[in-house]
Amino acid sequence: MTIKYNSQKIAQNFYTFAVLLFLLQAVVGIIAAIQFIWPDFFILNFNTIRTIHINAMVVWLLAGMMGAAYYVVPEESETELWSEPLAKIQFYLTVVATLSVLLGYVWMGLDPQANKTVFGAGLLNEGREYIEAPRWADILIVASLLLFLLNCFMTVLKTRKWTGIQGTLLGGLVMLTVLYIPGMFYTRSMVADQYWWWWVLHLWVEGAWEVVAGALIAFMLMKLVGAERGVVEKWMYAEVCLVLFTGILGTGHHYYWIGTPPYWLWIGGVFSSLEPVPLLIMVWDALRTTRENRNIENRAGMYYITGHVIFTFVGAGIWGLIHTLPAVNKWTHGTQITTAHAHLAFYGAYVLLILSIIYTTLPAIRGIKVYNDSRAFKSFWLMTISMIFIALTITGAGIVQTIMERLMGLDYIAVKSGYNMWFWIFRAIFGAGFLIGTVVFVKDYFSLGKEQ
Amino acid sequence: MNSNKGIRNLFIYGGLFFFAVMAVLTYDTMQQLPHRAPEITDEVNAGKMVWHKYDCIGCHTILGNGSYFAPDLTKTAQRKPHEYLKNFLINPKIANPKATMPRLGITEEEAGKLVAFLDWISKVDTNGWPPKPILAAPAMVSTGELSAGQKIYQSLNCSECHTLNGIGGTMGPDLTHVGSRRDRVWLKGHFKDPQKYVPDSVMPLVIASDADIEQLTDYMLTLK
Repeated sequence: MTIKYNSQKIAQNFYTFAVLLFLLQAVVGIIAAIQFIWPDFFILNFNTIRTIHINAMVVWLLAGMMGAAYYVVPEESETELWSEPLAKIQFYLTVVATLSVLLGYVWMGLDPQANKTVFGAGLLNEGREYIEAPRWADILIVASLLLFLLNCFMTVLKTRKWTGIQGTLLGGLVMLTVLYIPGMFYTRSMVADQYWWWWVLHLWVEGAWEVVAGALIAFMLMKLVGAERGVVEKWMYAEVCLVLFTGILGTGHHYYWIGTPPYWLWIGGVFSSLEPVPLLIMVWDALRTTRENRNIENRAGMYYITGHVIFTFVGAGIWGLIHTLPAVNKWTHGTQITTAHAHLAFYGAYVLLILSIIYTTLPAIRGIKVYNDSRAFKSFWLMTISMIFIALTITGAGIVQTIMERLMGLDYIAVKSGYNMWFWIFRAIFGAGFLIGTVVFVKDYFSLGKEQ
Repeated sequence: MNSNKGIRNLFIYGGLFFFAVMAVLTYDTMQQLPHRAPEITDEVNAGKMVWHKYDCIGCHTILGNGSYFAPDLTKTAQRKPHEYLKNFLINPKIANPKATMPRLGITEEEAGKLVAFLDWISKVDTNGWPPKPILAAPAMVSTGELSAGQKIYQSLNCSECHTLNGIGGTMGPDLTHVGSRRDRVWLKGHFKDPQKYVPDSVMPLVIASDADIEQLTDYMLTLK
C-alpha cells in the first residue's frame, strides 16, 4: 500500500490533530461523568468541561473529514493537490483557531466575567451549545473551510476529472460550510435562536455530514475490498439521496416544543421516522460488498467500517427512532434519553467513520505493506463495548427520569442525584473503559508502521 | 457514459427541492413566531444576553435543549417566586444551602434581566410542553383517607419546595422527619413568620386560618 500522489500526505497532519483532540474529548468526558456524581469534582465547572467535550468532538471530526478529503480528492482527480503550502497554511490556521478558542473556554471557566459581550456576542463563548465558539473564531473557521474548499476544487479543475465520489464528498463539504452560517447571527427571540441553531446542528449531523460519510464509505469500499466503482457509486447516491429526502424535513423533530407552529409535529414525525432507512441501506450495502469480495488486505480498516455502518444504524437509527415520534417525545424531550442517543449516534456515525478512514489510508501514507492490527481490534472492542454500556446506563437513567420526573412529577434534582446515582457511577466506570480503548488507539496511531 | 446519471440528478435536484420546501416552511414559521410569544422587550433581550454570557446552557436545558446536567428552565419563572430566583442567581448557596450551582458573579442587575427573560420564555406557546405529570395525582394518594393536615399540605402546594418521603421539591428542607426536629411552638411560629425563625428564608408566609395551621402543625408533628 502506497500513496499515488505525494501531496496526499498532508492528510496525516489533520489526522494527528484529530486523534489528539479525540483523546482530549475522552479525558474531559470522564471528568464530566464524575461531575454527575460530585458536581464540585474539578477546578473547572461542568459547563466548561462539557463545552470542551462537545467542541473538541466537532473540531476533530471536521479535521478528520478534511484530512480524508485531502487524501481522496488528489486520488480521484489523478493529480497532485493544487497547492500543498496552502493546505499547510489552512492546517495551521485550524490549529491556531482551535487552541485559542480552547484557551478562551478555560479562561472563562476560571473567571466567568472574562466573557465580555462585544457586538452582541460573547468574546470567549457565545453561550450556544455546540457552537459556543465566539464570532471571531467562527470567521476564522469559515476562512479555513473556504481555503480548504478552494484547494480541493482547484485540484479537481486541474484535470477536470469529476467522479461521483469526489463530487458527493465536495458537495457535502460545501453544504457543511454553508450551513455554518445560520449559527452566526444574533436573534432577540430564544425560539428563533434555537430554530436557526438546529439548522446548523441537525442539518450537519443528519444532512451534510452524512453526505460526506456516504462518499467516504464508497471510497473505502473501493479501496478495501476492490469493489466496482459503478456499483459503489450507485448505492452511494441512493443513500445520500434518501439522507437528504428524509433528513432535511426531519429537522422538524426538533421543532415540536420550542415555540414553533404545531404543523412541525406532523412534518418532523413523518420525515424523521424515515431517517433510519438510508442508514439501513448503508449497512446492507457494506455487508453485501464485503461478502462479494473476500480478499481483504487491510483487515483493521474493514473492521472499523463494518462497525461504523452497524453502529450508525443502531445509535443514530434505532436510538433516534425510539423517541422521535411526538407522542413519545412529549415525555422524553430534554431527558437523558437524548444524551444516550447522542453518545451512541456520534460514536457509531462519526467517530468510527473517521477511525475507519484513518485505518484505510494511513498505511498507504506511511508506506506500510503489512502491519500488526491486534491493537486496532483491541481498541475497537474496548471502545465499542464501553460505548454500548455508556449508552445503556444513560438510557436507564433516561427511563427513570422520564417516569419519575415527567410522569410522576418528582423534582429534577431529586431524580438526578438520588434515583439515578448508580447509573452515573456505572457510566463513569464504562467511561474509564472507553478512555483505555482510546489510549490504545492513540498509541496504535502513533506507532503504526514505525515499530518492527 | 455515466450509468448513474439518473440517480445522481435525483440526489442533486431532489435535495434542492427539499431545501426549497424547508425554506418556505421556515419563512412561514418566522412569520408566526411573534404571535406565539409575548413581546420581546429590551429587558427580555438583555436577559437573553446574560443567559449567553454565563453559558447557562452549558449545564441547564431550556425549551428542552441544552446540557441535561441541571433543571430545565422553560417554566421555572412560573413555578418559583421571582425574588427567590434573583437571590439564587446572585448567590445560589445563600438562597438554597443544598444548591450545587456555583456562584458565577451574576450582579443584581443581571439577575433581574435574566428573570425577565425566564418569565418571557415561560409564556411561549410550546404546544403543551412540558406536559403535566399524569401519574402525579395517583402517586401522592396514600392507601387510606387523607388526614386534614395532609389535605392542607396538598392544597397549599407545600411539595412544590419540600420533599416528603422522596417526593417533592428540593428548594426547601426535606420534611420527612421534621416532627423529630421541631416542636409545636416553633412550627406554628414559623408558619406565621418564617424569617423570624430562619433568617434569609425564602419561604412565603403561610396564609391559612388558625384552625388550618393547627392541623398542618399536627400533621408535621407526626412526621418522625
